Formats: sequence, C-alpha cells, structure tokens
Amino acid sequence: MTRSRTPRKGAKRRAGSRSWLSWLFKLSLVGLVLLAGFAVYLDAVVQEKFSGKRWTVPAKVYARPLELFVGQKLSKQDFLTELDALGYRREGAANGPGAAAVNGNLVDLHTRGFQFYEGNEPAQRVRVEFSGDYVAGLNQGSGAKLAVARMEPLLIGGLYPAHHEDRILIKLDQVPPYLVETLVAVEDREFFNHFGVSPKGIARAVWINATAGQLRQGGSTLTQQLVKNFYLTSERSLTRKLTEAMMAVLLELHYDKKEILEAYLNEVFLGQDGQRAVHGIGLASQYFFSQPLGELKLEQVALLVGMVKGPTYYNPRRNPERALERRNLVLDLLAQQGVVTVEEAEAAKKKPLGVTKRGSLADSSFPGFLDLVKRQLREDYREEDLTEEGLRIFTSFDPILQLKAESALSETFKRLSGRKGLDAVEAAMVVTNPETGEVQALVGSRQPRYAGFNRALDANRPIGSLIKPAVYLTALERPSQYTLTTRLEDTPFSVKGQDGQVWRPKNYDGKPHGSIYLYQGLAHSYNLSTAKLGLELGVPNVLKTLERLGVHREWPAYPSMLLGAGALSPMEVATMYQTLANGGFNTPLRGIRSVLAADGEPLKRYPFQIQQRFDPGAIYLVQNAMQKVMREGTGRSVYSQLPASLTLAGKTGTSNDSRDSWFAGFSQDLLAVVWMGRDDNGQTPLTGATGALQVWAGFMKKADPLPLDMPMPDNVAPAWVDAYSGQGSASGCPNAVEIPYIRGSEPPPGQPCGMLEAPTENVMDWVRGWLN
Amino acid sequence: MAKWWISVVVASALVSGCSSVPRGSIPVQDSSGNLMADEQGAFAGRGGVAQPQQPQTQTQTQTQSLPEDSGVVVMVPGGVSSAPLETYPDGSSATPSIYPSAPLSTGPAPGVGGYQAPSAPSMPSGIPSGGSLAADEQLDGPVLALLTSAQQQQSGGDLDGASSSLERAQRIAPREPQVLYRLAEVRLAQGDAAQAEQLARRGLTYANGRPALQASLWDLIAQSRERQGDPAGAAQARERARVHL
Repeated sequence: MTRSRTPRKGAKRRAGSRSWLSWLFKLSLVGLVLLAGFAVYLDAVVQEKFSGKRWTVPAKVYARPLELFVGQKLSKQDFLTELDALGYRREGAANGPGAAAVNGNLVDLHTRGFQFYEGNEPAQRVRVEFSGDYVAGLNQGSGAKLAVARMEPLLIGGLYPAHHEDRILIKLDQVPPYLVETLVAVEDREFFNHFGVSPKGIARAVWINATAGQLRQGGSTLTQQLVKNFYLTSERSLTRKLTEAMMAVLLELHYDKKEILEAYLNEVFLGQDGQRAVHGIGLASQYFFSQPLGELKLEQVALLVGMVKGPTYYNPRRNPERALERRNLVLDLLAQQGVVTVEEAEAAKKKPLGVTKRGSLADSSFPGFLDLVKRQLREDYREEDLTEEGLRIFTSFDPILQLKAESALSETFKRLSGRKGLDAVEAAMVVTNPETGEVQALVGSRQPRYAGFNRALDANRPIGSLIKPAVYLTALERPSQYTLTTRLEDTPFSVKGQDGQVWRPKNYDGKPHGSIYLYQGLAHSYNLSTAKLGLELGVPNVLKTLERLGVHREWPAYPSMLLGAGALSPMEVATMYQTLANGGFNTPLRGIRSVLAADGEPLKRYPFQIQQRFDPGAIYLVQNAMQKVMREGTGRSVYSQLPASLTLAGKTGTSNDSRDSWFAGFSQDLLAVVWMGRDDNGQTPLTGATGALQVWAGFMKKADPLPLDMPMPDNVAPAWVDAYSGQGSASGCPNAVEIPYIRGSEPPPGQPCGMLEAPTENVMDWVRGWLN
Repeated sequence: MAKWWISVVVASALVSGCSSVPRGSIPVQDSSGNLMADEQGAFAGRGGVAQPQQPQTQTQTQTQSLPEDSGVVVMVPGGVSSAPLETYPDGSSATPSIYPSAPLSTGPAPGVGGYQAPSAPSMPSGIPSGGSLAADEQLDGPVLALLTSAQQQQSGGDLDGASSSLERAQRIAPREPQVLYRLAEVRLAQGDAAQAEQLARRGLTYANGRPALQASLWDLIAQSRERQGDPAGAAQARERARVHL
C-alpha cells in the first residue's frame, strides 16, 4: 500500500511540467503492474488451497451394522429403534433409500447401502417379517429370499481436531433435487451468469435492502462467500472486500461453476454443536435430520438453505418459530421465481420442521464407548491421521444393548432410591460378547451422556469375591486333588502374611459353615473355605491363574489377595470373565473391527484372536459352580427377575465395608460386568447382590440372552452322587444328584436302587418354593 | 410359545437348506452319522431328555437319500419344562442349611450337558451347535452365504476380506465349527500359524460328534504346528486326525 502511494505524490508535484495524461497513463501502468503482481500472488493463494485437499475431515466412528437374517433374535421394537436412530422415514410404502413402512409384523424398508471393509452392501428393498422376538422372514423387494442383509451402521461420533471443525464431504451429483436451485434463488440469483462478482446482484441487493421488508440480501455472490469463508478472516473492511472480489474473479477463471458450487456446499457453516462446528450441507443434513443429504425433501432443503444467512439465529432446534418462518419465506421465494409451483410450495409449507431431537451424531451421545475407541486408535494412529484424514472406524458398539444397559442402570437407581447415601454412588458397566470378545456397550458414569471420568476403564477398585472363580479354577485344574464335591472346611483360622500382619478372614455373615462341598464355597462366597483352599494351592499359583485369565497386574502374593484385595477396572474384570465364559480361551477385548480410508480403501483390521489358556474340562466345572451361584448362592435373587430356564453363570463381589458392589456374569452370548461405588471410596449402602447384581439382572432381562450352554468336553463325565455323603450313587437312588467330573476323578459308582418312584409333586413344590 | 414356533420354522428351514449342497466350502467328506451311536448312548442315560442330535441325524439321512424332499421335522425345544429333576433331598427345603454337612443341591442343576436340549432353543439361527450331521451339509442361509463370499474372496486373493466375511459369519453362528475351521484356514494362508492352531482348537470344542470335521481340524492343527516348527506336535495332531477318520 505504501509503495502505491509514492508515485501518486510524485505525480502531483510534477503535474505542471508534463502532460497529466501521460502521467496518468504511466501511473495506471505502474498500478496495473502492482495490481497484477498482487493478482498473481492471490492467484497462487487461490489455486494452492483449492487444488488438492481442501478440507481435513475428522475420523468417523460407526456402530456395528445390524445384520438381518432368518432366525435372528431381534424384536420388532428394537428394530424400529434402530431404524429411527438411522433416520428412516416412516412412509406408507418404502419408496427410495431411507424409507420404511410398518405393517403389523412386516417391516418393508429400502436400505441405503454402505461400503464396508470387505465389500459393498447394496441399497435394496428388504421385507422383514417378525414373529415374537425373532426374524421369521427376509425377502428382497422382488420377493426372492434373502440369506443375509446388513443395515448401514449408525454414526456414533468422530475424532475432532483442535478447531473442532466437522464435515461430511459430498459431491454435487449426490445433492437432492431443488438444493442448487434453492441456494441460487436465495443467495445469488445470477450465479450461473456472473464471473465471480455481480454488479447486477449488488444493485439488486441495494434496491431490495432499500425497500426493505423482503428477504434481505447481501451483495456477495456465492463465489465471494466461498472465498470469504475459505481464504479470509471475518474482518470487515473495504480492502478485504476488494481482495475478496479479486479472488472470486480469479477462482472463476480457474474453476468451473460446478466445482465452485460443490466447494461452497462443503464449506458453508450451518451450526454449532457444543464445541463442534457443523460445516457443509452433508453434515448439516445428518446433524439436523439424521438423513443422508440425497434423501432430503423440498421443505428440508429450504430450511437448510434458509439457515445459511444466520445458522445460530435460525437454528431449528433452539429457535423453531424463526426457523419455520424463514423456511416458509424461502419456499415462497421459490414459488415466486418459478422453481416450484405454488401448490408444491404450499404443500411443503404445511410440513413440520422435521428435525431430530438432538444432534444424533453428537459425539456426546456415547462418550464412554467412544473413549475406549479413541484409546485403542491412538495406539495405532497419529493424532493428525485421526482428525484430518476422514478415516471410517467400524466398531462393535451395539446401540440397542447400550440403551438397555443405560436404562437398567437408571431404573435400578430409581428402585434403590430410598437407601441412605445412594446419591453419592457412581456406577460403571461393560458389556461384551463372550464368544467374539467384542465390546458391545460401555457405561462410564451414572450419567451415561456425561463425558468425564470413565469408570469402566479407569476406576480401579478392589474386586472382592470376584476373584474367587480364579481360586476354584486353580483347584479344579488338579482333578486328582479337587472335584466339585471335595470337602472343604469353612472354619476360622489365622495366618501370618508376608507383610508380617496376622490375617484373620471372616465370612460375610460372620459365621463359619463347617464342612462343605467345594462348589458351595464359591456358590455362597464363603471366605473362610476359599481362603483356606487358596492357601493350600499357594497364593502365587492363584495369581498365575489370574494372569492366564487375562489380568496383567503385579500383585504381591499376600493371602488377602485370595479374597480380592487387589484392584481392577471393570474392563479388566470383563477380560478375566471373558476367558471363563469362552471355554478357557482368552480373547483381548476389542471395540474396533476395521478401519477404512476416506476413499473406502481398507486400511486395518482388528482380527478375532484367541488363545487357549485352560483345559475346557476345568472351565466346564468352574462354570458349573458359577451356575450354582445363580441357582442357590449369592446370585439367586436374579431368578426373581429372570425365567428359571435361563441358565446363567456369575459371581457377586463386595469389598470391605461395602465400598464396592460388583457383579460379573454371563449367558451364552452376553457378558456383563457392573460396578457400583463412590468416587471417594466411601461406604455404600450396597453389597454385590443388592446393588450391582440388580443392575445386571435388569439388563439381562431387557437383553433376553441365550441360556449358557457350554458343550461338555470329552474329558468330563457326569456321575450320580449322594447329595449328603458325596459318595457314588446311581440314577434313581434317593438323594442322588448328577455332578460333572473330570473323567477318573468321580467317586466310584454306587449300587443301583431300582426304578425312580417319581415323587413329582413334592419335587415341584420344593423347587417352586426354592425358586421364589 | 413364539420361540417354540420359531424353532419349528428354523428346523424346517434347516432341513430345506440341507438339500442344497454348498459350493466349494470345506474339504470334509461326508461320512455317515453312525459314528455318533456311542455318543448318543452316553447321553441316553442322562435324564431322557430328547436330544436334538437324534432328530437331526434322522433328518439328515432322509435328506441325503431324497435330496429333493424337504420334510418338516419338529425339533423338541428345550427349556424349563424339559429339564428333568433328578431328586430332592428327603425332608424339605430346610436341608440346604444343615450344619455342618450341607448336601449337594438338587434343583434343576446347572448345565451338565444333558439337562437341557441344547441346540434348538439356544441356536435360533438354525445353526446346530453340536449336531451330528456331516460337516458341510447343515449350514443354512446366512452362514452358508457368508462362507461362500469368503471362499470367493479367498480365491480372488483377498484374504483380509475373506477373514472379515468369516468373522461376520462367526458373529452370526459363533459355535459353528466349520466357520472356525475356515477362519483357521485363512489365518494359515495369511501366515499366522499360531492363530490358525488356536482357532482350530476352538473349533474342536464345538465339533463333538462330527468325526470328519474333527479329523480336518486336527489336520489343520498339524499343518499349523509344522509351520511353527513343531514337527513332533504336528505328528501328534496327525495321529489324532487319523483316529477321527
């Protein structure tokens, strides 16, 4: 600027001596040269940023895709919940992707198609027939049977860079009808005719603004708006306005209208979601309607375009009246300009705003699980790869199970609300699939939407009796010494620990239980017999078993460890119980399945990996004892909520003075760990059974899992024993019960007692009383 | 009630699924089901609950001889009502608390295999969990479709894709040993012999009563051990494979 002033001053001084015309000519020449230089510079700026990668896109995190197949356990209600989350429109007939029609037990839908790691799932018409809680039929639109189909996965969050700018890039050929016409009509009527700036547009803007009342217009073309957002700061000055105009012209010189329009649609700012800035019409469509852009209808298009003028002022969630008024104004304008007919505009004006309740892909929805995903990703990727490259992260997250876990938690808190001190009690929960090792749901706080201390991963608390299966597993791995019916003495004792202190364990009820069967020590969670057994086995051996179960802690081999003095996070407990649930095969718990690059190229898979750590026979016996926990032991209250046919295995845990209330357990296809306690480690009014178990049972009731059914390993055989003596008996003998043993460790068979005279009624009475 | 009905539907779907021979999946020969005889004998003594293996075996033989015919076979669904009660302690429910010698519990005792009819209720997808059918005959809709895609991906050189499809199948039918077998095969092709062995071993825990498949799994373990530089272990596994054939 200073340089351009100098020649002007010189011109004034020498005005008399030469012809002013000549000077003006030279002056303009210099000015032109300078301007040209500036233009060359601006041109470089324009091209540099416009060619190549124009935006960084945060990684997107997806839930598991819902699989559909005949025989699948899926209730219609859960399916509709999923469809709603995916933004399916309920219509009379499923016409076009993203539409669903519900008719009694039939749901017709048109899926959207999606690119997965191993291939493309086509968009297609699907008819799902439900019967009870199962999928009974699955057909294509044509009526042909469909073996398996996958829904597109729910987007559950992203990994945002420091400036929190988020977008979903779109291409011009993906936009819905009317979008371009509406944008042009509202923002820049001359767009297809001007060269970047529009004198006509400015003139009209001045006129309209002068006569006022109507749709207020700025004089900027779409190109200028793009330049402003893309290259310049929001400073308002004449120089900036001129630079903007020059850059707009330059941009138009190099790129065609189509490219400029596409860039505009991807750049435009349309709202703020907490810290996250919603950029681009593609993301706005997901954010406000939970729908892909291409599916938007006239009234939705009109709303989004109308919002360009003031995304905060016209935010349809915060200011619905204003937004509606603005939308209808846009629709009128479209009718005025002949883009749509008056009838079409009037019909669209009658439609509600149609925005979803909250940002359905707000990264605040499932903060606990996303935290887990981010931690796993940060082990493998650099931060900038995650926040800039538009990676697509496919996870095992199951939104249906997550919602069930969350509601089981809140309902239990409500039910327990009378208890003193409950307000300060926090909670965490981990839900996995024991057969695949995938994390399906995760709750890190009593307020599951609240991102903060993730207790499921970071709360390390004494696990109490949750450790006991490791003690009994260590014993049952030595079938020549221990079986489920080995006698244990549940009597008081004391032992001098390595730390020099005398350790005197006590039972929870304060009483010794005398001579008991081994399995009863676990079922009733007796401390005396368990501690004795653990000391017999050797504390280091029990700790070794824990290590093999997947717990990697360097705990000192103190006797108190046998009763769970060591602290673990709920996630670590889930790993430990996973190995018990999965037949003795350890699986590292995974939340991520695969990662795709922005262009769909497969990048990385997190494969299913297992390692056999235990003899399936020993695991079978431990599972059997853990089933007794549920049938007759400390976990038996579950069957007041759950059907007796549902075989489950689990263990309660309560740390000293009820500071921690734990429950870990599993069915065939679902494992859940629940922790409740105070962040300040204070006392709670809960034991494992009265607190965590209640949440667990509530969750299992909602999730309705498959009963536990581990195939009996080759080296296990059931044998009849007398319930009182533990000696071998035979089928049909009084008091004979069947107990599984590692082959060769069973008691010698007893004499047959003749046919069983079935005292059915008595049995049923007794069982009924015992189950209730 | 609804679940019961479903298992009937599933059973019939299974039967009709059996009549089509899947394209090139598992190199396991179809061997007759009679090797199951002693296995069933072993089960027979325990409570007399209808074992789903048995109807399936019959179904299978039927389908094999009449490949076009797909009769409907009703599998007996398990559940509470079918869980046998062995006995109860003399006296009453007060007994369990007897001190010092509490008796063994005698209720509907937890899953010692025979207490429940395992596969019909627990595998509503129609994929038997431990049936006696010969290897690749019993897969139905979704699993078969996914194993087929995996096969195509593998022959096209896309091992990661094949792996991904197989894990998808595994999520649908986690206890189907054929899926684990195929997954182990792909892992071996990917050069991960250790995982191949582990997956095959997991498959074995679900392959009771399916001798041909057991033999194939042992054979795969043998190959994996060879790759891991364990010829002795490989020889042992081969021995096991021969026993099962």
